[in-house]
Amino acid sequence: MSSLNGAPADSHAPGHDVDTSITRNGFKVSTQKLPILKAGPIEEMTKKLGIAPPEMIFGDNFARIEHLPTGWKIDFNAFDALDRVDKTGDSMLKVSYSKEWQQNRQKQFEDIKEVVKPFDWSYSTDYKGTVPQEPSFEPTETPIPLTLLRRPDPILFFDDVVLYEDELADNGIAMLSCKIRVMPARLLMLTRFFMRLDDVMFRIRDTRVFVEFETGEVIREYTAREEKYEDLRKKLRGTGGDVLAKMRDPNQIAEHIPIVDHTLEKVVLKQTS
Amino acid sequence: MSIGGSDLDKAIGQLRACRPIPENQVRELCYKARELLIEEGNVVGVDAPVTICGDIHGQFHDLMELFRVGGDVPDTNYLFMGDFVDRGFYSLESFLLLLCLKVRYPDRITLIRGNHESRQITTVYGFYDECLRKYGSANVWRYCCEVFDYLALGALVTGATTSLSPTDGPLADNTNIDSLPDSDADIEIETLNANGEIMYRYARNSDSQSSAASQANSNPASSSPVAPTPTRTGPAGTGASGSANGSKGNDTGAILCVHGGLSPLIDTIDKIRLLDRKQEVPHEGAMCDLLWSDPDEIDGWGLSPRGAGFLFGADIVKCFNHRNDLSLIARAHQLVMEGFKEMFDSTIVTVWSAPNYCYRCGNVAAILELGEDGSNAGFVRRSNGDQGGGNGGWVLGSNVGNGNNGGQGGNGNRRLSSVLGDSMRPREGPGRRYRVFEAAPQDSRGMPAKKPVADYFL
Repeated sequence: MSSLNGAPADSHAPGHDVDTSITRNGFKVSTQKLPILKAGPIEEMTKKLGIAPPEMIFGDNFARIEHLPTGWKIDFNAFDALDRVDKTGDSMLKVSYSKEWQQNRQKQFEDIKEVVKPFDWSYSTDYKGTVPQEPSFEPTETPIPLTLLRRPDPILFFDDVVLYEDELADNGIAMLSCKIRVMPARLLMLTRFFMRLDDVMFRIRDTRVFVEFETGEVIREYTAREEKYEDLRKKLRGTGGDVLAKMRDPNQIAEHIPIVDHTLEKVVLKQTS
Repeated sequence: MSIGGSDLDKAIGQLRACRPIPENQVRELCYKARELLIEEGNVVGVDAPVTICGDIHGQFHDLMELFRVGGDVPDTNYLFMGDFVDRGFYSLESFLLLLCLKVRYPDRITLIRGNHESRQITTVYGFYDECLRKYGSANVWRYCCEVFDYLALGALVTGATTSLSPTDGPLADNTNIDSLPDSDADIEIETLNANGEIMYRYARNSDSQSSAASQANSNPASSSPVAPTPTRTGPAGTGASGSANGSKGNDTGAILCVHGGLSPLIDTIDKIRLLDRKQEVPHEGAMCDLLWSDPDEIDGWGLSPRGAGFLFGADIVKCFNHRNDLSLIARAHQLVMEGFKEMFDSTIVTVWSAPNYCYRCGNVAAILELGEDGSNAGFVRRSNGDQGGGNGGWVLGSNVGNGNNGGQGGNGNRRLSSVLGDSMRPREGPGRRYRVFEAAPQDSRGMPAKKPVADYFL
């Protein structure tokens, strides 16, 4: 029926530049922002993924860092991120009132048992970006130099790109988005998966990519955080302010959520000879 | 201070300018609205013509755009299928305006409840915070929530025509004139853009039984697309054409409008009528299902992988429609990029009326217009040979086809014949005109274009 639906082919979210880029010392940073996918492409993606994509699927969006001299790149897009979501249903979460709902339901409809297409509908992903095989990231002890990133260097390029978002049928939010800022000597990109399942749990999974242009050094840091809803709420109560508002903003709660996974990797890209 | 007559018009004017009305007026308005809504049944009867709208979600400026595209109240009759509040920045103004219009023109506008019209959901998704911010207390939120409890759970539209009288609008830029059916064909679906230009047009099965000759209809459950006998073309909404239970011979079955979908506890519309709706939306049960469930490409009923909530397949919809003499279920609840999405051989449609949802999705919105039966009188008479002159080639052709076919089995409703036996022939769907529109221009919102603000994130 998609041909019935006459959305203008070139519509894009008002106020959004479609795509933008900047190149510094051989590193090209580019982003693209388009509307959510239409019925046809969603169907196609569903088939390829094997799961239903999130309600707001920005399948044409991406954020990318390319090293032009070597052809190396790291790319963040919705499809590859969703391809890493559990498609079996083994790690499936339940909404807060599921137990109550199930109990009441079972009395009347024991014959309706089949859970439709089970999968991790919270769209939790451990996606760290799409990279070529070679040269590959290797484990490192070198942390991302936060002191350098705290300096108020001019920001030459900045963007914020949403890859997907789902309201979990009004039980919270799952969102994967990329922020990037390019300064004269280096850049930082933060790809964050944020998930709040109301009255159940919080997840924040951050992938930070840092590039020092001069040395061709690329550091990738992955930090996964997880906390029960009630436990975080108790912690936040001690900090004052509007607890509900804080729970909508990952920036305000990340430090209060314990780290459950952490990796640090590095790759050094050869400079132009 | 009472909010009647001119005060009400003043309040409407103020809200149309997106300015909230004082707290005491909100209280008065909500009281009046409750008095009105309490008189409505759980399933409100609505006569075509009517324009059916999906989620609004506090996108006030886009609601204004909807009225610009669809016509203003009270010139156009509206049916809003819930989710007026949350997410957007102007839930308060959007909901209060709709409520004012309801109190001012009760017969012109119907509001039914969405899953966001609930205390619990609005505390999490924005409406509560907005009321607190705009009034400094939760009183207004409380008044509104009391109104939510009185909103109907569904609506039943009767007297809709099966074929649209074609609009004379110009073609939209990308429309291929050759792809449009003949101007005298029986138009089932038409899609127009915000300027009223034709984007798409679809004729009903042009080789099927769609003609007035099915007067000799041997199957009472089958509808003919145009009124079969003059005696049956009574006024819309009368018992003859409007009852939800098996009155034969009306143009099209009724159209059920609910926010979410069906419930395994509900097999007849009368069962919706028996619910006690005046309460917060419960976490389970029929009322919850009507506001929360979703159609899906499955067989029968299924459980949502989220651990709560039902999904229902094509067979469920087709059986329900047949049993209740419906031709279509219209629902909202799910974002669709194109503004509307018909499923299951056009037995159910999702209508979504919040363009560029959450100010970032870039989707278009749609509203669904159902025309009134009588507006199609020209077609009926012409097929009887009284009118239409030499212009009735298509009608004549199908008349012949039908006459030859006598019992009308094979070339009847092809849509469902593979799924349902002859005993469950579906009703012919109503003519459906979708008007598709984009978000109101950014500068009309009085806020800056949404450009990301550079920050020194770590």
